[in-house]
Order: sequence, then C-alpha cells, then structure tokens
Amino acid sequence: MTGSAMVFYAAAVLTVVFAAVMVVHRNPVKSTLALVVSFFGLAICYVLLSAPLIAVLQVIVYAGAILVLFLFVLMLLNLREEPAPPGSSRPIQTVLSGVAIVSFAGLMLGLIRASGDPAAGADPQPLTDIARVSRLLFSDYLLPFEAVSVLLLAALVGAFVLVYSEKRA
Amino acid sequence: MSGPVPLLHVLILSVALFAIGLTGALLRRNAIHIFLSIELMMNAANLALIGYALSWGTPEGQIVVFFVIAIAAAEASVGLAIFVALFRHTKTIDVNQVNLLKW
Amino acid sequence: MSLLDFGIIAARVLLPALILPGIVIPLVWVERRGAGLIQDRPGPNRVGPMGLLQSPVDVLKLFMKEPVMPAAADSFLYTLAPAIAVFAALATFAVIPYGATLEVGGRTIPLIGADLNIGILYIFAMTSLSVYAIVLAGWSANNKYSLMGGIRSSAQIISYELAMTTAAAGVILAASSFRLNDVVAMQEGTWLSFVPRWNVFPQFLGFLIFFVAAFAETNRIPFDLPEAESELVAGYHTEYSAMRFGSYFLAEYVNIMVASALAVTLYLGGWTLPGFHPQGILGTLISIAIFAGKTAFLVWVFVWVRWTLPRFRYDQLMSLGWKVLLPLALVNIFLQAALALGTGVYR
Repeated sequence: MTGSAMVFYAAAVLTVVFAAVMVVHRNPVKSTLALVVSFFGLAICYVLLSAPLIAVLQVIVYAGAILVLFLFVLMLLNLREEPAPPGSSRPIQTVLSGVAIVSFAGLMLGLIRASGDPAAGADPQPLTDIARVSRLLFSDYLLPFEAVSVLLLAALVGAFVLVYSEKRA
Repeated sequence: MSGPVPLLHVLILSVALFAIGLTGALLRRNAIHIFLSIELMMNAANLALIGYALSWGTPEGQIVVFFVIAIAAAEASVGLAIFVALFRHTKTIDVNQVNLLKW
Repeated sequence: MSLLDFGIIAARVLLPALILPGIVIPLVWVERRGAGLIQDRPGPNRVGPMGLLQSPVDVLKLFMKEPVMPAAADSFLYTLAPAIAVFAALATFAVIPYGATLEVGGRTIPLIGADLNIGILYIFAMTSLSVYAIVLAGWSANNKYSLMGGIRSSAQIISYELAMTTAAAGVILAASSFRLNDVVAMQEGTWLSFVPRWNVFPQFLGFLIFFVAAFAETNRIPFDLPEAESELVAGYHTEYSAMRFGSYFLAEYVNIMVASALAVTLYLGGWTLPGFHPQGILGTLISIAIFAGKTAFLVWVFVWVRWTLPRFRYDQLMSLGWKVLLPLALVNIFLQAALALGTGVYR
C-alpha cells in the first residue's frame, strides 16, 4: 500500500467516525463541529483524488462559511443540549428507518459491485491542472454558472425576507 | 488515470457517508441535526462524483461538485433563515413540535 | 528520499513556524515603544537596556500564571480554541515564498514551505479556520461578553474576508496563477526601466482594499470591535488567562506578520528588487533580508495605525466592508481584466 493510499484510508476513517459523532451527539454546537472535522477529512480525500481546487473550496465554503453560519444561528438562538422529551421514543419508526437505511446501503453497494470499475479514460492532462477545470467551467458550463449566481442572489433575498422583522427596523 | 485507491473504495466511503447522513435525517428531530445530515449526504454524493471524475480522467465531475457546493451555500442561507423565523414563532426547532400549517 | 532530503523539507516547513513566534517577542516591544513614540512618552524602559527585556519577562509571567477556567465553561472547547488560533496563524505562512531558491552542494532548495498550485486559496482556507478559534472561545466560556465578542468577530471576519479575497482576485488575474511563486516571478523587473513591476502600481486600489481588510481580519484597531474594552470587557478572550490568553496574543501578532508578508508577496514584489539577481548563498540571504525588510515596514504600519486612529462603530465597520470595500474590489477586478486584456501591462 502506498503512502497516499494510507493517508486516504486514515482520512476516510476520520470522516466516517466524525460523521457518526455528528448524528448521535445531543449538543447541536458539538454536532456542527464534528461535521467540520468530517469535512476536513473529506477535503483530504479530495486532494488525494486529484481535486485540490474542490478540496480548498470545500474548506473555504463549508468550514469557513456554511458551518460558521450554523454556529452563528445556534449561538444567537442560544440552543444548548436538549434533553429527549419524555414519552417520545418511537420504536416502530426507528426500526423501520434502520431497515430502510441498511437496505439502501446494501442496494447501493450491490449496484456498485455489479457495475464494476469503469474503463479508465486515456487522458494525458492531469485533473490537478486548475486552468483546465476553470476553462471548462467558463466555456461549456457558463450557463449553469450564471444560473447559480442568480440562484445565490435569490437565496440572499429570500433569507432576508424570512428573517426581516419590521419591529426592529 | 488511476488514483491512490481503487474507485470501489471511494464509492464504499461515499455510500457509508450517505447512509450515516440518511440515518441522521430520518431519526433526529432537531432541525439543525437534520440539516447537517442533509449536508453530509450532499458531500457523500460529491465524493462519488470526484471519484468518477478521477477514474474517467475528465474534469466534468469536479465541475458538478462546484455547482453542488454553490447550491449548498444557497440552501444553507435559506434553511437557517427558516429556522430563525421558526424559532421566533414557536421557541423550538424540534420538527415534531412544528405541526401547524397555519398560525 | 535520503535522510538529508527529509531534514531539508522539515527545516523548510518548520523554521518559519519556529521563527515567527520568536519574532513576536521583539515585536511587542516595538509596538509598545512605538506607542510611546507616537504618544510622546517613553514606553517600557525599566527592564534591560531600553526596556528590551520587558517582553521576555512578560512572556515568563504568562507562562507562570495559573490558568483559570470558568466553572460553567465547556472545558474541551475552551481548551481547544486557543490551540486553533495559533495553528491557523502559523499554518498560513506555509505557502508564502520567503526568499530566492537556495542552491547548495548540487541541491536546489526553494525557500517556501509548500509550493502549492492553489497557494492563495490555501491561505484563505486557513484564515477562514481562524474564525473557529474566536467563535469557540466566545461560546465555550459561557459569558455574555465573550459570546457578544465572538459573534461580532466572526461576522466581521467573514465580511472582510470577502473583500480581501475579491481584492486578491485582481492579482490572481494578473498572474494567471494561484501559485505564489508565480506571483513573485511576475513582479521581477521594471516598467520603462525605472518603475518596479510591483502589483501595487497598477493595482493600488486592490492593495488598499487588501490592506484595510487585513486590519479587520487581524482584529486590530481601527477594527478591533470584538474586543472593544469599553463595551465588551475583553471580547471573546474575556475569560482566558495565563498562557491561554497568551496564545491569542501570540496568534494576533503572528497574524499581523503573515498578513504583511502576504501583502508583500502579492503587491510589493515579494523577495525581489529591481536589478537584484540573487546568486549563491549570499544572494539568497539578501533576498530573505529584502523580504523581511518589506514585511517589517508593513508591520510598522500596523503599529502606526493602531496608535493613530480611533475605533470604528460596529455599524460603520459593517457598512464600510459591504458598501465600500466590496464594490470597490469588484471595480478593481474589472479594471485589472481590462488592463490584462487591453494593454501590455502584465506579461
């Protein structure tokens, strides 16, 4: 096993463990932080899968903006640990969701196994070349790019309308 | 081009993360946890896309991930705005307590 | 890879990380004496010649004090937060080239921690991590002043990072590379044989925005709102004492140096100087000295501004960032695109 493979598996374990921590932790702030660590592990995986640009964007956008926004809201709302409300355990739903999740994962793994490794495309240029990715983004994918910027503007306006209160203005 | 690990292992990691995210989204009742779980599921999909991009030697997969990240940002801003508005009305973000369509 | 190669890489990466905190000690002395100079008073002058030993003694004091943790604090995050602050500050320097390539005994040693092809983006990723140090400090201490300071500060850093990144995009556009070595290389030589090819000349607007945003990013006066002592006691580090407080202090000064070094690399030609072609070990040493000199000048500007300007109000800070700096940074991008396409300013 090569060094980068070992790093990949280590990062994969880190990612999965902290993702699990995120799901089970009762404290929303710590859950968010666990997801930050998990996304860091993913960023390491992206670097090893020759997508350094995406890895850095992952850290800047997810860790640096989206999850900070989460923490921000949690702090403003002052949400701390929430005890489970009494009489709210739902064994049937829990078992059913468990079955659904396990069967979903099994189905996906089966499909992946059945499809096998795709034939590697003969491509001389490495994917780590940022100029190559960017050139494609600003030529063939220009329309989606512009559409996303309009979407971001719409989200901005929408978020403002939702939280704007006339009392404070 | 081939990466440091077989594509299969990347996809297994992706499925594992997606399943964890699905578990959180289905079983947790705190809106924040559900939202974080959805983010995790999107990232699982991103990982699969990047794995395939490397395996096929084309940058298209990375470009789709770029768009997914941008859309996740838009989604997070609107989603959190909804939580803030919800919290102002009901003083809770437990999705089970939010069962009224009209106030 | 032989042991020697490994040692060279380790030295390349670790030396700056060890030297930067070391420089903080004299830097604090410079700041306090500079304050004295500007305010027409002596400043610290009792310990050692010209008060030079004041800072080492202060550091010793910080180490020997008892760290006190509030009973209601979240002990894990409370301890983790200062560590993140120092880590994020030191990790940023890894991609900044601090001297000409050294050639010794048939080996070429680039004087840069890691020559990433996404260098500038890496720096912004690391700066965005420093937000966590502040947010977590504010939240984990369970104190309302800490929390207010933490929230203010994270909002400020996110807002100004936008302006900073957009301003730096002008440089990326001109260099057509994220690699900081390429950015330095494009600034070698002169225009019309007397103006250095530094980005600061065609991109003065961008430099100004970048530098102003750097003040906000490092939480320095006039943008030190997070720790505005008249309103928030000491902001996010209200509940920190001893060396945990010292970590924030250290991180602040390291951040100042890194921000100055980055501004030098992006806009002031890095370690280059017109007409200077480094050769041999001496040339490399001179190039490091040039880099250090330029950085020291900008660090002095940080000190100078701190003791000259009053503090902004919070709403003024936000409207400056969003309504002035960000639009100007966008204008700068258009300007640079026009320069790059329409004229031969950039190679």
